[in-house]
Amino acid sequence: MAVQSEPVRVNSPGRSGAQQPPKSRRPAAGPSLLSRIAPYLLLLPAIVATLALLGWPLVKTVLLSFQNLNRRQLVQHTTEWNGFDNYKQLLTSAEFWHTTGRSIAFTAVNVVLIMVGGTLVGLLLNRLGSKMRLFLQIGLVLAWAMPIVAQTTVFTWLFDSRYGVVNWFLNQLGWHSMATYNWYSSQLSTFFVIVLLIVWGSIPFVAFNMYAALTTIPNELYEAARLDGAGSVKIFTKVVFPSLKPFFLGTTFLEVIWVFKCFTQVLAINNGGPERLTETLPVYAYIEGSGNSHYGMGSAIAVLTILMLAVLMAYYFRIILKQEDEL
Amino acid sequence: MKRQLIAAVGVAAMVVGVAACGSSGKSGDSAGKPANYNGKTVTAWLMDGSAPQAWQDGVKADFATQFPGAKLNIQIQKWDGVGAKITTGLSDNSVDVLEVGNTQTAGYASTGGLMDLTSAKADLGGSDWAANLNASSVLDGKQYAAPWYFSNRVVIYNKALWTKAGITGTPKTLDEFYADLDKLKATQGVSQPIYLPGQEWYTYFGLIAGEGGQIAKQNGSAWAGNLESAEAKDAFGTYTKLQSYSTAPKDKDEATPPQTDVFSKGDVGAMIGLGWEAPAAKDMPADNVGYFPLPGKTADKPSGVFLGGSNLAVAQDTKNPDLAKGLLKIMLSDKYESMMASSGLIPNKTSLNSLATTPFAQAAIAASANGATTPNLANWTSVENPPSPIKEFMTAVLQGADYDSTAKKYDDQITTLLGQKQ
Repeated sequence: MAVQSEPVRVNSPGRSGAQQPPKSRRPAAGPSLLSRIAPYLLLLPAIVATLALLGWPLVKTVLLSFQNLNRRQLVQHTTEWNGFDNYKQLLTSAEFWHTTGRSIAFTAVNVVLIMVGGTLVGLLLNRLGSKMRLFLQIGLVLAWAMPIVAQTTVFTWLFDSRYGVVNWFLNQLGWHSMATYNWYSSQLSTFFVIVLLIVWGSIPFVAFNMYAALTTIPNELYEAARLDGAGSVKIFTKVVFPSLKPFFLGTTFLEVIWVFKCFTQVLAINNGGPERLTETLPVYAYIEGSGNSHYGMGSAIAVLTILMLAVLMAYYFRIILKQEDEL
Repeated sequence: MKRQLIAAVGVAAMVVGVAACGSSGKSGDSAGKPANYNGKTVTAWLMDGSAPQAWQDGVKADFATQFPGAKLNIQIQKWDGVGAKITTGLSDNSVDVLEVGNTQTAGYASTGGLMDLTSAKADLGGSDWAANLNASSVLDGKQYAAPWYFSNRVVIYNKALWTKAGITGTPKTLDEFYADLDKLKATQGVSQPIYLPGQEWYTYFGLIAGEGGQIAKQNGSAWAGNLESAEAKDAFGTYTKLQSYSTAPKDKDEATPPQTDVFSKGDVGAMIGLGWEAPAAKDMPADNVGYFPLPGKTADKPSGVFLGGSNLAVAQDTKNPDLAKGLLKIMLSDKYESMMASSGLIPNKTSLNSLATTPFAQAAIAASANGATTPNLANWTSVENPPSPIKEFMTAVLQGADYDSTAKKYDDQITTLLGQKQ
């Protein structure tokens, strides 16, 4: 959330004059030692927690990815360095590249649907009366607050081939061939269920942020636009979108990261099946690493996944830094 | 999530490595005074559904008498995901004596986590173990485990429905069985003549063995998938025919949903399962449940079966090797093997087979003559682990994929998995 709220504030029209020069806030006298290190002390717990819970495992994962670590090495506590063997094997394997391509396509489809859906719901929130807005907000919060494993279980039941509500409903509508349709029998239909689950679970976040961001656009801008004869589409493309560009950018990148590393839903819906055709990179790493006890190989897949995300993030930070420079 | 898990395992392994080094010196000191077992604990991991409660209680009592002061901690583990649990257990020294599935024993033995029991074999009663049951405990000529109990699948049927369908007697050939299933299909109140999901690979494995084939074959020192063989194709024809009598999902195995639950509803003619999968007495009276070996193509012998079972092993890093071996001796003694036999399982000595008199055991022992186990390979576990290429293969062909090309594709996968570096 912090990622997009900052640029939104900086960018929102009508606020630029209100910005105070930061210097005036500093005390005139020389600051005491405590007040100088206070910010760092306050940051310390977060930094320690991040290093312990993310940094250290990350370092270990990178180290493991250069080892031949299977059950034998784990049981006997031996370390077998094998250089870039794991990476060589992965980068020359068709399976890895197929899975990568699938992950990218999967991420693209999900993110587009989430952003379009979330934006539309956000705009709706902004236009609704207070009662309906509350109603919709409660619905969104419930979807957002539901634990992922519970969400997945519910979807598994909804799409059950014999007792699922979806098949029953389609059958009632007259589509009788769907009465006992097995949604997990093909790659596309399995992906359909997974994508629906992820999009449904992610829309509330985008919608709430969109709504929050919309409230920063002053009404005068809309009025001015309308006086100039702009329709809804034009208002969105000429007023809303330019004002909220940093919001769209930040949220899109967050969603890219979340969907790309999304693990639970894909694994729990159908274990990456049928025929391993819905495995995305995190599931692939899990099956190779934990499932088949090739911990070194699993780590290498994880590191490559992190590198791919890092490239994406570098692009994002470049845009952000450029914007900061411009301001 | 994944990388944190790996790292956590890695960290745990390192910490434990240090601990293990520190403790190895101690075990020598206590050897001088074997009578004092105070404060020592032996942890035994048994699998869910293996040992009856009376067996566990008896073993505990005998252990307490024989090793005064020592504590026996029996923990029951679930089959689901047990591989990772045992690997970490062997790595961090949290288990002393453990039950391992017979198809998985070679895998654990090759990690170096199981103690070489070759010298203790005779003392454990190993001279009388049935040779075919002991095979899975041996790797490269060394005894890494001891055979505990075995079992195989038979047809479990609903007597009331069979009578209603006008079937007298049990079938002696597959053709007779198909005819019976046809009769059941035509009977009112029968939802499906047999419940057989598409991924019940144990039955398929048995059928291949019955055809004289192998699911994987040895080429020199390497092993390769053998689904392409004529025997495997023939066996799959039988499986497909049997499966066509079932409305069970083609992409699930017998555990999802548990086939016992389906059968217990009372409208399913039969299923292929193990003794413990028979319905509980509260769901279906025991005298309504019958058992017979899956018949073969000819009346002279039943179909082949997968010989499932469990071995008992000692962890290499156990701090109390004498206690662990002592416990193993109690567990494998005729007294407790007899209890396993009476509960319907095949014991490790053929001399105790006569005790297996439950209706299930009688059918199972008749079928076990034609039984086979999976190749005794360190990497075999990878073939069984999800996503198992055998199960995926079965689903694909049952859903209409071409047999030969699909078999080729999955043989390649099996070959890769079996050839992976240790």
